[in-house]
Amino acid sequence: MSNPRRRYRHYADLLVWGLAAVLAWILPAGAAAADESWQAQPYQLGQGLYFPQQSLRVGGYADIHFYSLDKHRAALSVEDLSLFLSRDIGTHWKLFSETELGDALVIDSQHATTKDANIDVERLYADYHTRSGITLRFGKFLTPVGQWNLVHADPLVWTVSRPLTTTGSFSRHASGAMLYGTVNLRQNDLDYWLFADDSKALAFTRSHNLAFTDYGASSTLRNDFQHAVGGQFLYHMLDDRLSLGASYVRYALKTPRQQYRLTGIDFGWSGRRVEFSGEGIWRTADSPQVPDEYGGYVQAVVPLPRHLYAVARYERYRNSLPSQWVTLRTFGIDYRPESGMSLKLEYREGNNNAALAPNGVLASIGVLF
Amino acid sequence: MPSTFTRWLVVLGVLVVAGTGARCAMAAQAGESRIAVIVSSRDHGVQTVDPGTLRNIYLKKVFVDPHGHAYIPVNLPPESRLRQAFSRAAIGMSERRLQNYWNQQYFQGVSPPFVLGSEAAVVEFVAKTPGAIGYVEPCFVTADVHAVQMLTLPAAASLPPAAACPRRPVR
Repeated sequence: MSNPRRRYRHYADLLVWGLAAVLAWILPAGAAAADESWQAQPYQLGQGLYFPQQSLRVGGYADIHFYSLDKHRAALSVEDLSLFLSRDIGTHWKLFSETELGDALVIDSQHATTKDANIDVERLYADYHTRSGITLRFGKFLTPVGQWNLVHADPLVWTVSRPLTTTGSFSRHASGAMLYGTVNLRQNDLDYWLFADDSKALAFTRSHNLAFTDYGASSTLRNDFQHAVGGQFLYHMLDDRLSLGASYVRYALKTPRQQYRLTGIDFGWSGRRVEFSGEGIWRTADSPQVPDEYGGYVQAVVPLPRHLYAVARYERYRNSLPSQWVTLRTFGIDYRPESGMSLKLEYREGNNNAALAPNGVLASIGVLF
Repeated sequence: MPSTFTRWLVVLGVLVVAGTGARCAMAAQAGESRIAVIVSSRDHGVQTVDPGTLRNIYLKKVFVDPHGHAYIPVNLPPESRLRQAFSRAAIGMSERRLQNYWNQQYFQGVSPPFVLGSEAAVVEFVAKTPGAIGYVEPCFVTADVHAVQMLTLPAAASLPPAAACPRRPVR
């Protein structure tokens, strides 16, 4: 954004959206505003603070990461500080925003810096509950491909590092409209998400859709949507212990400007002694010059005594730029002393992974507040 | 001295009375092991709620009824045994699994149902709030609310006798 006029326009857009958001949050609640019977609940970690008179919930999450990777200086990073604002307007409308301060402070053996700090509106949308099982969403939201992308906050996932499969080939955010909900099918729930994105016209913040977000990743490839249409289905079985999902997105990226088709599958199985989950994607480009990109991971989590969990993940990913297979093996331990809090330590190693997710040790402390 | 015949009559009478009493006690216990899912009597559109819909109302997966009116589910406090029994019977999840579920939903901007302090408060709130839905022991049901579903708990999950039942006829 080196052009001053473009930069001015960007900040003007941010200001307008910010003002609109502030007005929406502070105006009195609508017809279904909090009744006197609705008393404020005591604060609980991981559930935010609720203000009944405004029907407003304020919360978020924060995490600090440490990493010591091959050929990189060990560093400590105040990685995410996210603020959630959620407000019901009447009985059918809801506003939600997530504003994130990223990389606020990075400290390594030689210096401490805030130069990488960035603030971004990760999500900003309005939901309208139309009728049973159908909700309309307008704004900027998380792209419904797989389960990791929809619930990716550090205190809620099992590892510090994120699988390449969940970021490498699609934009993590979309701007436009979405139809989502849950329907009952053969005594089981089917969740669905159908969306249309027009980021070219609607994106109002500077995008941070880096394809590979892990520490030490040297790739600067971005996955910003121009346009996209797609959806995801997730079928729950066995009292929610098993879920099977499938997704499909047809999209154009800003750079490299190409049309792509992405197909994804995912699953989750939760047993008494072990939990398995996994995702897989396969992306093809309209241009035959662009190689296909595909990969997947399988993850196992075993509960141990004293709120400890052992985690292992195996991932294979075939990148298109540069065209090569990457293998990653991750082993970690997760301590969850109470709901909404997570301390993690993990070791990662692999093959052909130096450019995207180098070998090394990672740790984090995350709190959902 | 009473005759043998009279003694047998007395023993038979005692057995009949004891048996009837036991049946009454069992019935009372069975009654106490049910949970009434209630809505306001003014919500004429809602006569019954099927188990799948009830679960999704409480998981905040379904927000409005087929006529477009919003559901407002209310819960009892987490330490309430009735809530724990309801979570297992209606939602099919332990409190721990539910806690994980709500953490994930919170990240997606969805908050759990509001909490009211007692069954009496649930009845009062549901009675005067269109769209509200709650659960109480059957002895708390009044004319201002009506039960859209009765959940029967398995024997192992039976609740202790409701000491706090209001002093009024059971409906």
